[in-house]
Amino acid sequence: MTTLSFLQCQVVEEEVQLSLAELCQASNAERELVLQLVEHGVIEPMGSAPQAWVFTGSSLQRTRVALRLLHDLELNLPGAALAVDLLDEIARLQRALQAARPSR
Amino acid sequence: MKFKDYYQALGVAREASADDIKHAYRRLARKYHPDLNKEADAEARFKEIGEAYEVLKDPEKRAAYDDVGKRWQPGAEQPPPDWDSGYEFRGGEDAFAAAGGFGGEHSDFFEALFGRHRAQTRSRAPPRAQDHHAKVVIDLVDAYRGASRSIRLQMPTLDAQGHVTLRERTLDVAIPAGVREGQHLRLAGQGGPGFDGAPAGDLYLEIAFRAHARFRVDGRDVYLDLPVAPWEAALGAGVDVPLPDGSVVQLSVPAGSAQGRKLRLKGKGIPGKTPGDLYVVLQIAMPPAPDEAQRRAWDALARLHAFNPRDHREAA
Repeated sequence: MTTLSFLQCQVVEEEVQLSLAELCQASNAERELVLQLVEHGVIEPMGSAPQAWVFTGSSLQRTRVALRLLHDLELNLPGAALAVDLLDEIARLQRALQAARPSR
Repeated sequence: MKFKDYYQALGVAREASADDIKHAYRRLARKYHPDLNKEADAEARFKEIGEAYEVLKDPEKRAAYDDVGKRWQPGAEQPPPDWDSGYEFRGGEDAFAAAGGFGGEHSDFFEALFGRHRAQTRSRAPPRAQDHHAKVVIDLVDAYRGASRSIRLQMPTLDAQGHVTLRERTLDVAIPAGVREGQHLRLAGQGGPGFDGAPAGDLYLEIAFRAHARFRVDGRDVYLDLPVAPWEAALGAGVDVPLPDGSVVQLSVPAGSAQGRKLRLKGKGIPGKTPGDLYVVLQIAMPPAPDEAQRRAWDALARLHAFNPRDHREAA
């Protein structure tokens, strides 16, 4: 079997770190909006100034969900920040519930 | 083409006020938003609601729609002649649209009546390569062993007229071992095309696992229910345990194990820098209805034990 023609990829949550510009690009978001998401604690970069910021790979998913909620549900930023936290918590609880449930 | 009843989509009367329409939209949008509602048809329903609201919230569009509705024969597949001509629109675009939500695609009915403002607006956007996102379903075994998979994707593409069409393409992707549900794979250069020599965007694939009949997954840990006979649980036993990667390991069930006891096989969960664990959950299974000799054996057991499983309830 030849594996050379298969596209290699990276696991975003483990192997990828994003600068502010890369995060904007990957989420198709305006820089200003991403700055506001940081301000409201939806995503938390490492580093002091925006040009030195580094985001973990999981920031990308949180950014995309927050943007969709802002756009689709006409939420404000604190509302979207709260919703993103709650959605993460629901996902965690559902995984735990699924693991605890006997298969029959 | 079918007539779309936007009032019905939002569950409001034809004479509903702008406020009623806004309230109905907000309630339904929260209910069916694909980030909040994981039902399979939520996204389609959400888009329908979004399209209805886009028309009914705008007095000009609503008036044009109402006018077409009056001339459309009930139940007719065909629109009245010249139904879509003579309406003019400003074609506004809201501020967040560039950041993207789940809406944005319109039905043929909408496009015939209101044109394709949105697609045309998008094509005026700066020529920056777009990153694309898609979901892909893999098997648990792929996360254990890694896999080479051909993935078919439907990519929305803009043609020269600004019309969105779906183009199918196949990608051969090396899925790395150790990937977990909900994580994303980044494929460099596989997103939207770059313009003026700029590099192409990236493609992001969100990983979901196909449900497995036996194994359940929580992050990097995997759970398996293992049936054991009452005497195996009582006396202890060596049993074979199948792993998701197809191999089999020997597990020793300790004597005196209770129903639901969790036995950990360290490092046998999803592999990685910090591999997960596999938890075997004992399920004590009763043998089929006993014959006479077996019934006597159970009876002898009962006499030997001064055990009442309901004792603790009295104590509580």
